Amino acid sequence: MARELDWSIYMARAQAGDRDAYRRLLEDVAPYLRSIAARHFRNSGDIEDAVQEVLLTVHAVRHTYDPARPFGPWLVAIANRRVVDGLRRQGRSRAREVALETEHETFAAPEANYHEAASEARALREAVESLPPGQRDAIRMLKLQEMSLKEAAAVSGMTVAALKVATHRAVKSLRKVLGRQDRRT
Amino acid sequence: MITTPDLIESLVANAAPVRRLRPPVARAVGWLLFAALMLALLAVSHEVRPDLALRLRQPEFVIGIAASLATGVLAAIASFLLSIPDRSRAWLLLPLPALFVWVSTIGYGCLINWVSLQPGSLPFGNEAGCFALLVLTGVPLSLAMLIMLRHAALLAPTRVAISGSLAVAAVTATALSIFHEHDASAIILIWNFGTAVLLVALGGAFGRRMFSWVAYAGK
Repeated sequence: MARELDWSIYMARAQAGDRDAYRRLLEDVAPYLRSIAARHFRNSGDIEDAVQEVLLTVHAVRHTYDPARPFGPWLVAIANRRVVDGLRRQGRSRAREVALETEHETFAAPEANYHEAASEARALREAVESLPPGQRDAIRMLKLQEMSLKEAAAVSGMTVAALKVATHRAVKSLRKVLGRQDRRT
Repeated sequence: MITTPDLIESLVANAAPVRRLRPPVARAVGWLLFAALMLALLAVSHEVRPDLALRLRQPEFVIGIAASLATGVLAAIASFLLSIPDRSRAWLLLPLPALFVWVSTIGYGCLINWVSLQPGSLPFGNEAGCFALLVLTGVPLSLAMLIMLRHAALLAPTRVAISGSLAVAAVTATALSIFHEHDASAIILIWNFGTAVLLVALGGAFGRRMFSWVAYAGK
């Protein structure tokens, strides 16, 4: 009730051109409108469309509000009107369109699986960190930074043979660590 | 697609002061005064029908004219109330009792005419004058109501258009019974229907254009 009274006062000020009151009013009513729209639409895009259309209508007919009367019924009448319009439009488009929900998007594009890829990469990085220093450097230089054996030998001061052995052992222990993780999950 | 916070910002940027609408009944009275002015102007330019004094002594004529006038007044009040978002849609029923009385007097008049009609006695000569009278009263009244209620295009265009066109049609019919000798009931009925269709069409087209304009201005 107190909220509605506030809205009524904000709208009366907005009618007189008070922009701050108007901004507060619109920001306040948007979540309320979203809850009304959510009763009729499931797709979040449709809900947001409905909210925006209600806001546009409120803006266009704000001179029809009489501050002597409660604000809630005025707003709800406009919201219902736009929700009905939205449902009609949806009915028309449903006849020949298939909406892509969020679940569809997750499986369609490779980037959509980025989260899984990112968590695998993290597991690998942690496994590399847990290796002994010599093996860790060898794996980093040869596999992650893709250096040749000669370059890696020059940078690290290790011999080519030592690098080969270190890499071999590192891959073996990584396989063990990551394999254990796989079995666990 | 624009995000809701961005939309709010652009609406706030466009929030020029607006003049609040006067109470709906006061605005209906304003429109009815305009209608009265139209009828007064017609009375000055046209002569009232020669047999008006005689007809005013016939109860069914007086009831008919009073009912059509009442229908016009009530329908006008109903349309201005319906054009405000939070008023009940039941106001649409306000002019119905008067409309019922009016339609039944038309029906009664038709029945009497049907019985008393002689072959070849239909007066065709004054149809043009009759039509001119309809246009002279109907068009300005429709335009005035359309302009006064243009915001309803976004809210309940059909409801408002129906009651608004009923108001225009009833006032026009009243004018016709005062100024025109021939009771053109059929023409009135066609005129009612025509105005209703015209207003609904205009409401639809007008509403969409206004809405896209608002959306464009809000960007």
